[in-house]
Amino acid sequence: MKTIEFKQLDETLFYKKLSNGLDVYILPKKGFSKTFVTFTTKYGSIDRTFVPLGESEAITVPDGIAHFLEHKMFEKEDGDVFQQFSEAGASANAFTSFTRTAYLFSATDHIYKSTETLLNFVQEPYFTDKTVEKEKGIIGQEITMYDDQADWRLYFGAIENMYHNHPVKIDIAGTIESIDKITADHLYTCYNTFYHPSNMLLFVVGAIDPTEMMAFIEENQKKKEFPEPTQIERQFEEEPTEVAIAMRELKMDVQKPKVYVGLKAKETNLSGEEMLKHELSVQIALECLYGRASNFYTDVYENGLIDESFAYDFSLEKGYGFALIGSDSSEPDQLAEKIKEVINNAESLLSSDGIERVKRKKIGFYLRALNSMEFIANQFTRYEFNEMNLFDAVPVIEKLTLKDVVEALKTIQGETQQTVFKVLPSSERAQ
Amino acid sequence: MFLSTQLAEGVNLHIRQTTQFKTVSFSIKFRAPLNQQTAAERAVLSNVLQHSNGKFKKSAEFRSYLDDLFGTVLYFDASKRGNEHTLLLNVETVNDQYLQQNQVFNEVLELINTAILEPNFDNGAFVPSIVEREKEMVTQRIQSIFDDKTRYAQHRLTQIIRPNHPASISANGTIDTVKQITPESLTKAYETMIHEDKVDIYVVGDIDVEAVQKKLTEALPFKDRTPKKLEQDSNESKPEKDYTKEQQDMKQGKLHIGFSTPVRFGDEDYAKMQIFNGVFGGYAHSKLFMNVREKESLAYYASSSYNSQYGLVYVVSGIEPSNEKKAIDVINEQLDAMKNGEITDLELSQTKAMLVNQLKETLDLARGQIEIFDQYKNLDETFSVDIWKERWDQVTKEDVQEMASQIQLEAIYFLCGKEA
Repeated sequence: MKTIEFKQLDETLFYKKLSNGLDVYILPKKGFSKTFVTFTTKYGSIDRTFVPLGESEAITVPDGIAHFLEHKMFEKEDGDVFQQFSEAGASANAFTSFTRTAYLFSATDHIYKSTETLLNFVQEPYFTDKTVEKEKGIIGQEITMYDDQADWRLYFGAIENMYHNHPVKIDIAGTIESIDKITADHLYTCYNTFYHPSNMLLFVVGAIDPTEMMAFIEENQKKKEFPEPTQIERQFEEEPTEVAIAMRELKMDVQKPKVYVGLKAKETNLSGEEMLKHELSVQIALECLYGRASNFYTDVYENGLIDESFAYDFSLEKGYGFALIGSDSSEPDQLAEKIKEVINNAESLLSSDGIERVKRKKIGFYLRALNSMEFIANQFTRYEFNEMNLFDAVPVIEKLTLKDVVEALKTIQGETQQTVFKVLPSSERAQ
Repeated sequence: MFLSTQLAEGVNLHIRQTTQFKTVSFSIKFRAPLNQQTAAERAVLSNVLQHSNGKFKKSAEFRSYLDDLFGTVLYFDASKRGNEHTLLLNVETVNDQYLQQNQVFNEVLELINTAILEPNFDNGAFVPSIVEREKEMVTQRIQSIFDDKTRYAQHRLTQIIRPNHPASISANGTIDTVKQITPESLTKAYETMIHEDKVDIYVVGDIDVEAVQKKLTEALPFKDRTPKKLEQDSNESKPEKDYTKEQQDMKQGKLHIGFSTPVRFGDEDYAKMQIFNGVFGGYAHSKLFMNVREKESLAYYASSSYNSQYGLVYVVSGIEPSNEKKAIDVINEQLDAMKNGEITDLELSQTKAMLVNQLKETLDLARGQIEIFDQYKNLDETFSVDIWKERWDQVTKEDVQEMASQIQLEAIYFLCGKEA
């Protein structure tokens, strides 16, 4: 077991790669009664074309399958796994993103029992055509729920605008039509390919003894047999730098228009510290340009172009990346123009003083976030899957310069990389 | 867990020293009786105080200063509990020990003083342009409920079952009451808040208790006040009708059902009602989840929640509109089963384990510690997890059955698409 110390943060992380390839990280937290555990596979909605384990030809599976698989992991021959977690007083959950599927629980008691439940239920698939059919009704309602959420449609509408081919533009849950095609065989194919321990990471944070916990996990894993790890081959089509659609709108039953300006990233092939530095630089640039202390914010706020829903964010993974900036606004076109104006003239708006101020804010953000076990476990896993280390964020921020920030921002700055998506009120009820 | 001292009559300071967190959290709560007018005034007031103050007259200056203090989080907010309105200031700042060489803590204390006691006045009143802008923001916030179908359905159900009652009064007031606010009326509301509200001040973190007591007494020199007596809300507010269906341009059907119970927070049967709700629809092992979702595949979510301030139980589920009747039947069957005593030992033990876990997890958060203590401090007893664990442990199947039999249907609200 390796020990990694983060002196300034007063944290010690314990790590071991088990013989089956599973990466296990343990972060003991003093003074807490809770423990939070995540078991994550590097497999998300974008992994739809791949070579199945033991085969040589790539296949494309129905959209929404990673999420469907996540749902079906909870049902076993002898019932629902939630029951076992509840019995031990543990809150269990799971989520599927573009790039990851995570299974997790938090609890203050019977931690070993629930850790065992977590490891076992994720590593013992049980799919039948009958249980798969039953789930279609449930997920169908989940999809319908999102279809009615204007903010979700706004988010996906903007991503759809940006991408020609990349599957990030496909809704994580798929569609009612696509999930209808899913069979138990599909689920086994995906499971066998992506749920090998060598493609997974277990993170334990909280009130635990790291040595004992590591031994417990290792013991559990030794009892199970897995094939030799192999390299997973995922396939993606070429993706142009420019956006697919520059402007589009959708009518919904809302009272106030919503708008997002999307900035498509052209640098999506980084990893490790280079990626960390790049990602933090872009985030700091956006905060300087659009944050609450910016001239832009004062202008649009005082002129009534935004309300409290105003937000901006930058997402980056291997193969895709984008910034989204927007708000509910009675003047969505005018707001979009102002947002674009800022990004097009960013060099003149960024200053060393501004960067230093935002760096301090960002450092404070990371220190606050380290109070949250959920943040640590989820973010650490995401960072690790991209060969970055969450605990390097603060030292990397400290070293960033104006030049780094300006350079990084250039990768999302081109005018052909910009898109606008609006959700507009459909009915006469709107004002 | 908290050390409480009285700073003045009606003003209490509660401090908890702990090394658990990398930050220090403050929460300052101003409380007054809840009604549509005060709610609107205080919601706008919280926005105006958040915008600027006497030292930082422009919002951007205020925000820049907070960024410089290592992104110290500072926000005002409006909320309600029972028949009380709370205007609160929450502040969270990084503990100095994790920073290279800074003294953020003292600056933050000074900032709390500025944010609360040095408002951005122009000729003795709030600046009209800022007031107008923030009135607009609160109005937008109230209107945005319409664009979130789940929140809207819940809002409608509450309006229907408890008209003109604290349960249906929003902490933001209404569009009309916000509209009536002027810089003068807002200034008056501010003066009332500072001089007449009941105040609770919370601090959690790795701090020197005596020093903080002394510094906060200086930073917030509140005078004695006799907080207004809260009127007990009457149960006279009754549903307008027992079934309402409304339509919008949407796909899913939002089924929201309201029930009432005579049991409120602090009552002897409160622990029993918590168990009732857990077994009924509070968790993933509950009857609603297992039957509406897992067995019948009718919904992605189906759950119940117990609002102990108003003695209400809400059931919510998102369904295919054509399944409305079936879903209502399955939900009723679950309640009937409980009335008939069909409650397993497993359901009971799972629910008890989950309640204990939830409470302990909440206490792992600084905000959680503040909220739990703030809620339980009014009861005539010392709060501890063990006391509540024992209380839940003692709840029997018969107790839960009795709680179920006291549940009354108030009304059903169904929001769905136009063609259904």
